[in-house]
Amino acid sequence: MALEDFRAEMERCSHCSYCRWIPLDQIKSWRFGKGCPSVAYNNFNSYSARGRYAVALSLLKGKSTYTAEVLDIVFKCQACGSCDVACKVTRYNLEPLQAILELRAKLVEDGQSPAEHVQVIDCLRKDHNTLQMPKVSRGDWAKGLGLKDLSREKADIVFHAGCQYSYDPDLQKTARTAAGLLKKAGLDVGIMAQTETCCGARAYSMGYRDDYAKCAQRLVRAWTQAGVKQVVTSCADCYHGFKRLYPEFTSDFEVLHTVEFLDRLIKAGTLKFTKTIPMKVTYHDPCHLGRQGEPHVPWEGKEKKIKGQIIVYEPRRPRNNGAWGIYDAPRDVLKSIPGIELLEMERIREYAWCCGAAGGVKEAYPDFSNWTASERLTEAKSTGADAMVSACPWCEKNFSDAQIESAEKLKILDIADLVQQAI
Amino acid sequence: MALSREVYQSLSDVVGAANISEDPAVLDSYVYPLTQTAIHLGPFFDAETPRGEAVLMPGSTAEVQAIVRICNRYKLKIKASSTFWSAMGFPSGDNTIQLDMRRMDKIIEIDEKNMFAVIEPGVIGATLQAEAMKLGLNTHITGAGSSCSPLASATAYNGAGPDCAYMGFGDENLLGLEWVMPTGEILRTGSLGSRLGWFSGEGPGPGVRGIIRGVIGTRGAMGVFTRCAVKLYPWPGPKTLPVKGTVPAYQADLPDNLRAYTLAFPDWRAWADGCHQIWDAGIGYIAHRQFNLFGRDLKGAMVKILSDPTKTLSDLEELLEDPEIKRVTKEMKRDFQIVLAGMTPRDIDWQDKALDQILADTGGWKVAAMAEKEIHDWVLLYLVRLGHKNLNLVFGGGYDGCFGMMGPPDLGTAHVEAAGQLKREWEQKGAIVAAGGDCMIGGIGGMGGGGNCMWENFAHFDPADEESTTGTCEFFDACDQYARENGLPPGMERTNAVARGADGRETPKAQREEMLSGAPQPAAFRYQRKIKEVLDPNDLGDAYYMTLDDPT
Repeated sequence: MALEDFRAEMERCSHCSYCRWIPLDQIKSWRFGKGCPSVAYNNFNSYSARGRYAVALSLLKGKSTYTAEVLDIVFKCQACGSCDVACKVTRYNLEPLQAILELRAKLVEDGQSPAEHVQVIDCLRKDHNTLQMPKVSRGDWAKGLGLKDLSREKADIVFHAGCQYSYDPDLQKTARTAAGLLKKAGLDVGIMAQTETCCGARAYSMGYRDDYAKCAQRLVRAWTQAGVKQVVTSCADCYHGFKRLYPEFTSDFEVLHTVEFLDRLIKAGTLKFTKTIPMKVTYHDPCHLGRQGEPHVPWEGKEKKIKGQIIVYEPRRPRNNGAWGIYDAPRDVLKSIPGIELLEMERIREYAWCCGAAGGVKEAYPDFSNWTASERLTEAKSTGADAMVSACPWCEKNFSDAQIESAEKLKILDIADLVQQAI
Repeated sequence: MALSREVYQSLSDVVGAANISEDPAVLDSYVYPLTQTAIHLGPFFDAETPRGEAVLMPGSTAEVQAIVRICNRYKLKIKASSTFWSAMGFPSGDNTIQLDMRRMDKIIEIDEKNMFAVIEPGVIGATLQAEAMKLGLNTHITGAGSSCSPLASATAYNGAGPDCAYMGFGDENLLGLEWVMPTGEILRTGSLGSRLGWFSGEGPGPGVRGIIRGVIGTRGAMGVFTRCAVKLYPWPGPKTLPVKGTVPAYQADLPDNLRAYTLAFPDWRAWADGCHQIWDAGIGYIAHRQFNLFGRDLKGAMVKILSDPTKTLSDLEELLEDPEIKRVTKEMKRDFQIVLAGMTPRDIDWQDKALDQILADTGGWKVAAMAEKEIHDWVLLYLVRLGHKNLNLVFGGGYDGCFGMMGPPDLGTAHVEAAGQLKREWEQKGAIVAAGGDCMIGGIGGMGGGGNCMWENFAHFDPADEESTTGTCEFFDACDQYARENGLPPGMERTNAVARGADGRETPKAQREEMLSGAPQPAAFRYQRKIKEVLDPNDLGDAYYMTLDDPT
């Protein structure tokens, strides 16, 4: 779709500002009622989904042009999808998140993009990662695990580490643990090692559609050659890419996040715990595993009207509103670990507050990214938990970065790490 | 016309560079399309309110005062808005700066014992309610829903809503007030003006509630209200709403002392009698004809869709053919919703018995299908939090309420069938949703607990479709004609034309004068003119504060 295709949506936006908040029904306090980090931080209407519809319409009508402020409005947003969930509590014919992503793609197409994003994309093109790291060391995290190298061998399952786990030494233990658990369960699992490439989902969310497509095509081709049937990843960003975006490339692999896999193993009795971990934890739903982690349902159709002016779609259009994301599997895993007490934050599941790292915000707007994470840390601490557990390296890294200078640090853990401790 | 650098710098010095913008794109996120007609104008296709010269976000009363003084110095008009629900919150002419009050969003205090809250403009109904409930209290939520500012509806509009029968209109709940007047002076009213706290709106201390309320509130045209106290009411429920279910079909599993019913009646006379008897009995916490907003023919199916997360509007046609839904829809032809809240077990039992007796006397009944657990819990949450009010726009993205009127139940019931028939005929033309004619909704009770109802007949249209928008406007002309022929005042879809015209700009003075001089009580507008002359000598506010010259 092109931005122009969203013009009717822009005119149909109700200007209600529900997109600023978590679903109003779910508001439990003044402190944690906000849903959209972008407008909460920047305040002007233009930083909400409502405002971005208006800004996009203004650009389409030629009433405004690209300025530094416009770039800020378009890119200073994690594309976390909170607005999308809140909007769709009452609207069935608006897609605010898609419209924001389309607006970004339009700006990129017109040569408008933050310099930091250009740097990331340059690295992606050259070294197939988003972290300014050399391509050759991509598979080093798995040294000594004895995993199959699927650039040379075949396996049923590919474990995709993603950029963060591949390169960040503080995070790599999680990838090693997750891949090790799969191997220990007797599964036929391998990695793409040095030939693994970024999933491209970050490029997609920054508006670089062609670069995303190249990443996707490269991975799909490699997995097909390796005889892969299942793709498992511990990264929520990658999961979202594989599950929701890749099907446009006729990717028919079963995609699982590690938490889903662990949940299956625990429920099947394959994975048993032997140790107690006396710890109070709270769980942070990564946006790309939760509200944006819903299954892809292909749709091609058109809008039509019934009863005169009721807008529906022919054929029936799938509705992605966060209802069917991955929320229960991580919670079930945590609850199954002896000694773990799960304390919920106020904003959870489809209306969770973003960690702040997504959409190219961490790269281009580090202060905003840190503030967003700090807000979540405050919320996590208010539960009385000893640790915040998540299922995404971007979340984990952003939370850790945000409390580097904090005197009272909350432990930040991945679910797989807790599982490993309890075995 | 851009602000001079001198003026811009003066304003920027007040709020800081991060809280002011004159970027065209930013300003265009502060224009309001006149196809979005919530309160209530047009709809006019491809028209919008004019851009402000700049948008500012003040962070304190002192900053607001400094801004207003600058506006006086440079003869700039000013428009403040809190949550931007409707056109009235946006500039209506050139040389206007827009104040976005969202940075002032604190709940300053909740006085549990004296049952009031002190709030700033950016507080919304949902956050105030959430905090009040922790203390066993509740707040009135305006009919536009809990995304809106309680301060705005208490100070600058009337704030009607479903809970008016128990909690009154927004403006009835106003206590102490802090007001940056158009002159730049700060007036603290009621007990606050005597430094005795926020507990009283009228005294000991200056009382201006009548002045600021005027005909229908100042609507952003008479200075800036920066803090106020609003009354709170008992909440006999849990400290946090126990929300369950899958988005968007959230439900609340509340204790048995909170019960939601859909009542239906055999004829409109019985319906009106039911209202009167409910008021006489003093029962009911929330009462509203709410789900009829989807229309007499569609509401049964729409409740099914909205309370089932797997369903979408694409299921509507199939659901409309379901015999059970057809039966329930027919059963709910003359209905309204009521929530009973028992303060004790004996209280809820008594209220329910009283309601049953009223229904027995009037021939009414509780609609069984709406009392099924899942639906009941969805209805209860919907009405208590009022967090789904944007469903007004669910069909095509636009709606407006014609025949907006307030009066005793017999006034609305006298016209509901004829008005519905008129609308049904227009629905056949295709510009508005064919919903069964009667989309009349409104509060059952208000103004101190009872005595009158609000009526709006919703018309739903597609704001992106010129034919639909223009056709809706023509339908409203027909409604206006019907009103004139039947001795009714113009509906709310036309009365706002006094303030703003089809081009989004302030209605020319001669036209305003003509409209207001023909009103039933033109003296009220002449009195408001005298108030404006004193309080807004430099004419900072726009025509939403309605004034009329003396006859020559």
